[in-house]
Amino acid sequence: MLYTGQILILIAILNNFLNVFLFFFLKKNSNFIKQIFITSSRLNALLILLAFLFLIFLYVSSDFRNLNVFFNSHSDKPLIYKISGVWGNHEGSLLLWILIMSVYNFVFSLNKSLDENLKNMTIFFQTIMTTSFILFMLLTSNPFIINFSNPNEGLGLNPVLQDPALAIHPPLLYIGYVGFSLVLSLAVSGMLTNKINTAWIKTTKQYSIFCWAMLTLGITVGSYWAYYELGWGGWWFWDPVENVSLMPWLTGLALIHSLQIINNNSYIKNWVIFLSILCFSLSLLGTFIVRSGVLMSVHAFASDSHRGMFILIIFFLITGFSFLVFLIKPDNTQRNPQSLVFNKYSTLIINNIVMTVACFTILLGTIYPIILESINNQRITVGAPYFNSTVIPIVLPGLLLMAIAPALSWKKNRINDFKYYLYIFFALLIICIVIYFLSNYNPWGIIGIAVGLWVLFPSIIQLIKIIVKKDIAKNKIPGLTSHIGMGILILGVTISSVWQKETINNLKIGEEILLENYSIKLKNVKEEVKNNYIRMMGNFKIFENNVEIGEIYSEKRYYPVSQTVTTEAGIMHKFDKDIYIVIGENISDNEWLIKIYFNPFVSFIWLGALITVLGGIISLRKI
Amino acid sequence: MKKIYPKLPLIFTVIIFGFLLYFLTQDKNPSNPPSALLNKQMPKFESNDLIDENYQISGEKFYGKKIIINFFASWCSPCKVEHPLLIEIANNHSDVLMIGVNHKDKKDDAMNFLESGNPYDQIALDKDGKIAMEFGVYGLPETFIINEKGIIVFAYVGPITNKIYEKKIKRLLSN
Repeated sequence: MLYTGQILILIAILNNFLNVFLFFFLKKNSNFIKQIFITSSRLNALLILLAFLFLIFLYVSSDFRNLNVFFNSHSDKPLIYKISGVWGNHEGSLLLWILIMSVYNFVFSLNKSLDENLKNMTIFFQTIMTTSFILFMLLTSNPFIINFSNPNEGLGLNPVLQDPALAIHPPLLYIGYVGFSLVLSLAVSGMLTNKINTAWIKTTKQYSIFCWAMLTLGITVGSYWAYYELGWGGWWFWDPVENVSLMPWLTGLALIHSLQIINNNSYIKNWVIFLSILCFSLSLLGTFIVRSGVLMSVHAFASDSHRGMFILIIFFLITGFSFLVFLIKPDNTQRNPQSLVFNKYSTLIINNIVMTVACFTILLGTIYPIILESINNQRITVGAPYFNSTVIPIVLPGLLLMAIAPALSWKKNRINDFKYYLYIFFALLIICIVIYFLSNYNPWGIIGIAVGLWVLFPSIIQLIKIIVKKDIAKNKIPGLTSHIGMGILILGVTISSVWQKETINNLKIGEEILLENYSIKLKNVKEEVKNNYIRMMGNFKIFENNVEIGEIYSEKRYYPVSQTVTTEAGIMHKFDKDIYIVIGENISDNEWLIKIYFNPFVSFIWLGALITVLGGIISLRKI
Repeated sequence: MKKIYPKLPLIFTVIIFGFLLYFLTQDKNPSNPPSALLNKQMPKFESNDLIDENYQISGEKFYGKKIIINFFASWCSPCKVEHPLLIEIANNHSDVLMIGVNHKDKKDDAMNFLESGNPYDQIALDKDGKIAMEFGVYGLPETFIINEKGIIVFAYVGPITNKIYEKKIKRLLSN
């Protein structure tokens, strides 16, 4: 019974070998072989799914005879965290990774629009990649190892991970990350079969937009989690692991934009192929950085240089092979260089350049410590100041274009309603300059707000125009929606980071503190024993202009099994700001250290990100 | 000139691969920054013994002997993981003194922790974390090896593993 998972995985490997083997006999035009080929690629997804469900079953039934369950679970845990514990560790999350890869292959095998050779070859590459990950899991990180000591109790899940947002964060992120593997398979097969045609573009668009939207959602959930769980009042820390998720996001963004302009231009075709390969390569590189432990990070997964070596080799084989194909089989069907006038092409090309440069800037900052230490044995860390002062100015021109690009025409050197944009732009510019001279506001804040509004308003106006006029340009709706989301996001990011207010106070029970027009009163601090943790919960009453507007509960949790303390910041979401309270140490009998943050417009960040994702999702219906 | 662009991605991939491969094979551990005290004189410290509270432990008493100093606490789970190996090391090298430093802990908890076996010859109490501060302790557990001249010859953050014992510690303790 305990060996079920292991057996399923082994059958899956055999099945995949068969699949790869059969691929070479497909040309014989035997329908029978084709049938088996397709069926075996689907069977793989089924087997992995069963193995995954079996692992969930072991977790839910707290079967500590499985070593992975023993290390990462505890019978006291609530059901949902028993389940999410499956992917809260290196081995289980690798199985999830493989499952998602297989499911993509399964879904892709249902495709009917693509050329058959292209489709089969894509399945072939996808199976090879999936199998290499299965081998990786089996050889270095098997979640189905038996624990012969048969203990009564497990060691428990890292308490920081016991959180609803973190239960869904990795699957979402993986659906994005891993999905790019299919985009890579498509690109390589497309080059090898010379079938980069309309059907290829359409399919690649579908998958890359879907993956990108899921990746956006995953990153958003992750940063929301960091916001309330880490208790630092921030939501993005330029942690290496955050960076590695941002890199495929940026290249993915470039990819979905350049897919809009691919048509028959061979330069852009090659560029699209390059990006398709790059997205998954960066995902692999990210996986390497996270799981080999070469960099310090709050995400510190099990670090083991053998695992690192294995992933590094997988990365090198996949990326190296893909770029090799890219080198020897570039598309040179048609040379159709566009004259660089101010039209949609040129803005999309600038967008691509901006995203790619930003991506490589982040890549450089992330792996620079590794490179430097390899060369001269010096240890440095590259932190937020580097990223803030490089990435933000780099993406700025791209953001400025975001407002105009959708309104540009494809061929002509003219913007529809050009003068309105000019008016808006200058009006914003003047307002910014005036505010800048009349106040001592942070210039970055002003620039950020201006850019945010600059993106937001034209996009809204265009969207309204399309809806009111029942314009034929309905295909612009998803893009505009995403741009509106980004505008809101930029506003949220700027305002919340520039105008955040932080105070640290000692508060006694019953005491209140005045901040702006709010007063915050510490009502009581309770200690309670919960299911698998003990919590110390501060109850705060919030008054605005002396009228009570609600209560905030801020917690510290102590998990006895793993003996760790976690923070659950108490947050009151208001339209214009979050009141964010972290309860700290007990100073004396009834006096506590309290950190209060006013985070203005921080909810715009998540709202904006969700609208952006929505844009991506609705575009899937239009393709 | 035209032909160079398609080659760039491959070249970059190889370069990045090369660096990462080199880095991995160097067996470097980022959670283990090189201690600033390495090859320097051990900091002075004085404290009472955990078990016999009247007994005064002082760093200077150990000059002339090879010692291992291991910072631990009952609340630290990685310490539990390394505990059996410490006992093994203590058995293998009976000539080396193993000093435990019980960091910010309660006495009862620490005694419970040691019930499964006590690898330490003496245990210094470090209730306020002062000794850890002197040693620049980065996180628990942390282990130092000090030679006869009182010089720190080895420092390691995190639980000691068999590999580290075989590769580094064994050699330092035997010669």
